[in-house]
Amino acid sequence: MKKNFRIALAGNPNCGKTSIFNMLTGARQHVGNYPGVTVESKSGHFTLGDMEIELIDLPGVYSLSSSSPEEEVVFQELTKPGIDLILNVVDSTIPRRSLYLTTQLAELHIPMFLAFNMSDDAKKKGFKFDIAKLEKYFGSPVVQTVGSRSGGIRPLLDRLAKTLTELEDHGVPMLTYGADIDDAINAVSEKIDAVSCARYAHVPARFFAVKLLEHDNCVMNIPEFKCVHGEVEEQIKHLWDKHAINADTFMADCRYAMLAGACRDAISMTQERRREISDKIDIVVTNKFLGLPLFLLIIYLTFYFTFTCAEPLMGWIESFFSWLADFIKSLWSPEQLPLLRSLVTDGIIAGVGGVIVFLPNILFLFFAIAILEDSGYMARAAFVMDGIMRKFGLQGRSFVPLVLGFGCTVPAIMATRTIESYRDRAVTIMVLPLMSCGARLPIYALIIPAFFAQKYQATVMWSIYLIGVIFALVAAKLMKNTLFKGEGEVYLMELPPYRLPTVKSLMLHMWDRGRMYLHKAGTIILLTSIILFICNTFPVKKNFSQDYEAKITQIQNSKESKEIIEEKVSSLENARQAELMAYTLSGRIGRALEPVFRPIGFDWKVTTACIAALAAKEIFVTQLGILYAEGETDENSVPLRRHLVQNYTPLQGFCIMLFCLLSIPCLATLAITRRELNSWKMTICEGAGLFCLAYVTTFIVYQAGLFLKIGTSFLM
Amino acid sequence: MGDLSKKASAAEGNTEKNSELTLAELPVGTTATIVKVLPGTRGRKKFADVGLVAGTELLIEAHAPFGGLIRVKVMETSMALHRDDAANIVIQPEGESDK
Repeated sequence: MKKNFRIALAGNPNCGKTSIFNMLTGARQHVGNYPGVTVESKSGHFTLGDMEIELIDLPGVYSLSSSSPEEEVVFQELTKPGIDLILNVVDSTIPRRSLYLTTQLAELHIPMFLAFNMSDDAKKKGFKFDIAKLEKYFGSPVVQTVGSRSGGIRPLLDRLAKTLTELEDHGVPMLTYGADIDDAINAVSEKIDAVSCARYAHVPARFFAVKLLEHDNCVMNIPEFKCVHGEVEEQIKHLWDKHAINADTFMADCRYAMLAGACRDAISMTQERRREISDKIDIVVTNKFLGLPLFLLIIYLTFYFTFTCAEPLMGWIESFFSWLADFIKSLWSPEQLPLLRSLVTDGIIAGVGGVIVFLPNILFLFFAIAILEDSGYMARAAFVMDGIMRKFGLQGRSFVPLVLGFGCTVPAIMATRTIESYRDRAVTIMVLPLMSCGARLPIYALIIPAFFAQKYQATVMWSIYLIGVIFALVAAKLMKNTLFKGEGEVYLMELPPYRLPTVKSLMLHMWDRGRMYLHKAGTIILLTSIILFICNTFPVKKNFSQDYEAKITQIQNSKESKEIIEEKVSSLENARQAELMAYTLSGRIGRALEPVFRPIGFDWKVTTACIAALAAKEIFVTQLGILYAEGETDENSVPLRRHLVQNYTPLQGFCIMLFCLLSIPCLATLAITRRELNSWKMTICEGAGLFCLAYVTTFIVYQAGLFLKIGTSFLM
Repeated sequence: MGDLSKKASAAEGNTEKNSELTLAELPVGTTATIVKVLPGTRGRKKFADVGLVAGTELLIEAHAPFGGLIRVKVMETSMALHRDDAANIVIQPEGESDK
């Protein structure tokens, strides 16, 4: 007997499919992307008795019409051979709508199993189902489930085991489109049978005939069926001439009519439709006046939760990594392989640790987003914000990611997955780096107090953020009118009833995103840390301008007070460090590029720091600190500020901030952009575009400032 | 509902063109039945798939702030669609609907 089965899980969006998937597979799931599209693919495994089952979670769709990337994916997956059973999840609170997909799935003649989910809600609404009749009608077993409650899918498991052992004698659905249409379908089917397409031998010709008559994109593009097109057009014309039937939408009409018949027979309502709680909540939440302030409050709370509540955890992670570095240093004596020792401690642990520190942020943020998403609020937020965002060529669902961009661009880009339209999503991703992220804050915090009087500081900071937002919105509008021009996709969004999210699904969601983030830290960040370490270390300078060691020994042996000795030693050590830096690859690259950056007010030190900041924006401060020989620095470093004031004008300070804001984002952002847009080309364009934007803007500001003599002397 | 019937009768008084009332023009709270979705409408099939076909009854639930989206209840589900698209859906308001 067969032991391994492949089951495809299909259903409408918001039908509770995911909770059933999570119930069945638990943590044994794999999340990926379908090649070429941004549709998430999910599969998982579970055992049922002695049967091993692979469950493929298809994206939620209303139809098999291939009118969206999701529908195309479902179409491709279901027409591939090797699927033993379709597990169709039906939202039993809206049977007519949910069964529409079922009528199309049935035409594939793959054994089907119907799970009437949310049966508890349906019962409350007054629905009664005649299961025996429904089973006969669809030729498939039907069970009632409650996907949100553990134990709610027990009946499904029992029945599924039985169904899988008797797949051979599976029933046939009783679906017909009426005599006229059936004639046309049969005529086309015959032609398709004559073609005998080997690739789709397992799919009934009738399925393709229906799709061809509907002018379905995917099926129309199958080259093997090109020769049938003549017959199809003839039949469509015939239907129109003889019966005034428009085949395009007539199938949809028929399916709904079939269902209306079936529902009358098998589904009954015992009580009058009553206004649901969900509608009552919506009267407030999507109110014309209250909707917007309420949304802003919820966003604020999300932020508060993400950044404030995660802070203690971040502190722990930070101390763990510094402890780890110290611990390794204490075990590993400096004499043994000193370079490897410092690569591991100063390069890898500091670099990777610096990124893992943000893990609590990511987890908290996605926990909050999962609540908003699973409860159904996100769709309302999009509804409320759509009007404003559309003025900038974006849409309602772009708003949340853009706001998240103030925190960190990486999770913000991940959050754009809720945007269904590819173009809107691409534009949102492309402008996201312009929202000044949290990692740029240390740069501003270093520079602003150095150059600007206290009373101007807040204004300068605010203006930097504002410049970012304005550039982002203008860029979005521009891109929508040029690169991503064209009629937008038809906007059709469901506002599902509010539901209480299940803990399990929240946890799984959080875990998914966390794992992705850790994966990034373990690959790209690890690599960059190593590269940066090498650039900052090699080649090692052997001959210094002065004999530092001798001088240090001399000072240490002098009779001055302890503090003075320490100060002198550290300043000597720093000077030595600066000489070392200038000699390294980073220093050389900085010097080589200096002519390019001079017109925007940068010297080689700032240039090097900007390059290092590609790994992570905060590194700008660290790197500048090393170059100015202040050793370890943070944004509160007073001596470093003194150096800045001595070497640069406020205009240059402002230009540095402007450049850091607009220029190429960190590599992690570029990596995630590449993955989410699935395009190297667009990622490279993004980087190059932002660099040009930053360079040109900074150039104009710097040269205009020089010319007008604004900010060329210290403002106090 | 005087406002609506005035609008409808005014429209009827017009010549054949633009004589039909569309989903985009209905006030919140109205119940209506779809007469037809104009041929050549983009996304026609997409609408059909969610039940926006001739003969379906729908309820205008809300208009989003700052224009743009219209929220309708069709087949027990709330769907948001754009006003421009809604203008291609011809409807027949349900008599003197209860607001």
